[in-house]
Amino acid sequence: MSDLTLQRQAKRKLNGKFIRNQVFSWALVLPAILFLCLFTFYPMGNLVHLSLYRGNITNPYKTFRGIENYLDILVRRPQFMTTLKNTALYVCMYVPICLSLSVIFAVWLQKARKINNFAQTCFFAPHLVATISSAFMWSWIFSPESSGIANGIIKVFGFNTHNWLGSSSTAMVCVMIMNTWASIGHHALIFLSALKSIPGEVYEAAELDSSSAVKTFFKITLPLLSPQIFLMLITMTTNSFKIFESVRQMTGGGPGISTKTVCMFIYDNAFETNNTLGLAGASSIVLTIILMLITLLDFKGLEKKVHYQ
Amino acid sequence: MAEIRFEKVCKFFDKARIIEDLDLTIQDGKFTVLVGASGCGKTTLLRMIAGIGPATSGHIYMDGKEITDVAPSKRDIAMVFQNYAIYPTMTVRENIEFGLKNKKVPKAEREALIKEYAEIVGLTEYLDRKPGTLSGGQRQRIALARAMVKKPAVFLMDEPLSNLDAKLRVQMRTELIELHNRLKTTFVYVTHDQVEAMSMADVIVLMNKGQIMQEASPEDIYNDPNNVFTAQFIGTPPMNIVDMPDGNKMGFRPEKVKMSDVPVQGCYCHKGEILTREMLGSETLYKIDCGEYTFMVKTDKPDFAMGEKVFIHVANEHLYFFDAEGQRIRKTDGENQYAQLLQNAGGMSNV
Repeated sequence: MSDLTLQRQAKRKLNGKFIRNQVFSWALVLPAILFLCLFTFYPMGNLVHLSLYRGNITNPYKTFRGIENYLDILVRRPQFMTTLKNTALYVCMYVPICLSLSVIFAVWLQKARKINNFAQTCFFAPHLVATISSAFMWSWIFSPESSGIANGIIKVFGFNTHNWLGSSSTAMVCVMIMNTWASIGHHALIFLSALKSIPGEVYEAAELDSSSAVKTFFKITLPLLSPQIFLMLITMTTNSFKIFESVRQMTGGGPGISTKTVCMFIYDNAFETNNTLGLAGASSIVLTIILMLITLLDFKGLEKKVHYQ
Repeated sequence: MAEIRFEKVCKFFDKARIIEDLDLTIQDGKFTVLVGASGCGKTTLLRMIAGIGPATSGHIYMDGKEITDVAPSKRDIAMVFQNYAIYPTMTVRENIEFGLKNKKVPKAEREALIKEYAEIVGLTEYLDRKPGTLSGGQRQRIALARAMVKKPAVFLMDEPLSNLDAKLRVQMRTELIELHNRLKTTFVYVTHDQVEAMSMADVIVLMNKGQIMQEASPEDIYNDPNNVFTAQFIGTPPMNIVDMPDGNKMGFRPEKVKMSDVPVQGCYCHKGEILTREMLGSETLYKIDCGEYTFMVKTDKPDFAMGEKVFIHVANEHLYFFDAEGQRIRKTDGENQYAQLLQNAGGMSNV
């Protein structure tokens, strides 16, 4: 065979391999792309489209309104901004409290004691309960009558009973307590697995370096947990901005609209009131943009402080 | 500088008895190497000195003062860990500085110390880098600097070279010897590598199953082993051991064996066949099949071939005798008994 034929054969072989590789790669990612297009990108596009119209579920595109829906929620009607403020307040309470409690709890669970396995199971169990059921249960706990456990406890200490969920100053706090209770075990478990991967020698070295327990926690443990803390910060922030069923069950957004969240506003406009589907769409878009901005800010501001191994 | 004394020290992990009733004195200013196979209790002993793995019972003294229950930070010791245990989120500077800061050393003094010790270990240009960006050898140097900067009375090292490649290990070995010469403090070094122990130690403490088999200088432990375990642990290849008809054991070092084509009278001599030949450069290692036993021989003569029939012979002064329990029988234990053993050894010759 001549050199030329050999070269051609080799080239054909290479081409065949290249095509096979391409086909195989696309076959692997195609299902994911398909799902992404079908359930993320298409609804997103549709949502933008929807937000420009006035309509309802049966006839979403009744009349074109352009950016009027956006002006309505952001400028003309104050309700969206109020719900946004409520949600932001909830996020500002829930994220730091739940995050720090999870870390502290994980540090406590880290030591191999018999009670810790039991505690871990106890704290994780609420995560397995449906949010709506948990919310039901906590509504009873915070029941305004003296039959509620919360009121029962404060009565023991000689305080007057309080309408926990009916008072605008405590209702959101109650929702936060319920959600912290429900998720702390799950978050702590993530931190616990990270803590267990820190070699014990590092702590022994710190002990030999005369480091106090508090200093060791802030200078060694916390920086080593930073990747997990960063991840949890982002997921907790975005998830808690979307809070819906616990508030709906526990307070219904009340008293007044003092605990009404953005997602409740969206739900009400989409399914409860007539011809406001476009407002719901516009609100969803605004919420998405806010979440993207927060995530972006988190990355810009904190990523440098995160220590990756 | 400090002397460390263990008195009737025990360590149990649940039901496993790691160390029982151990007495040991680590001499002030000496480079002491604790050597032994994995699980023999050497690291446990080191951790007791550090205070990070307290003894189950017994007493530990440092310069006569009891430190059994003293917190690690109050012991005036520094430790270098096997996996370095440097703080990964801190820069090299912060790693070295951490202990000083905790001890509230003034800033100016800290800076001067960091500068001095970074220079000693050759890390000056890496002071602001994170350990993750440095090589294994450099990380080991951080651990060393972090220990040295505290100017401790006792330096503890737990297999600090085991994660380094062979070349770097040899280099670091000489650096540690130099460091000890310069600091003149007590060094306690744990290793499972007898070559490391022999090359660095002033005193070797050989351990087995939580007990001290022998405590001596490298020369003594090599030339005058107390028991079969020591004789076989120290030296590569290990000492050849033969069971004698009277129930005792006889041993001889591979490097003391002579080889010849003809039998030799007046010493232990055995015929055999060369099974393998390893040419190591200045010396050659032969594995020789002598019927009941195979012996290792290390010699500077490379001209024997595999499969060749040879005679091995060992001069009387290079023979070691041990009793049935493996304890050494010396000439000083009884001239007559020793002469009898030599005679029996000669009788075991097979030419």
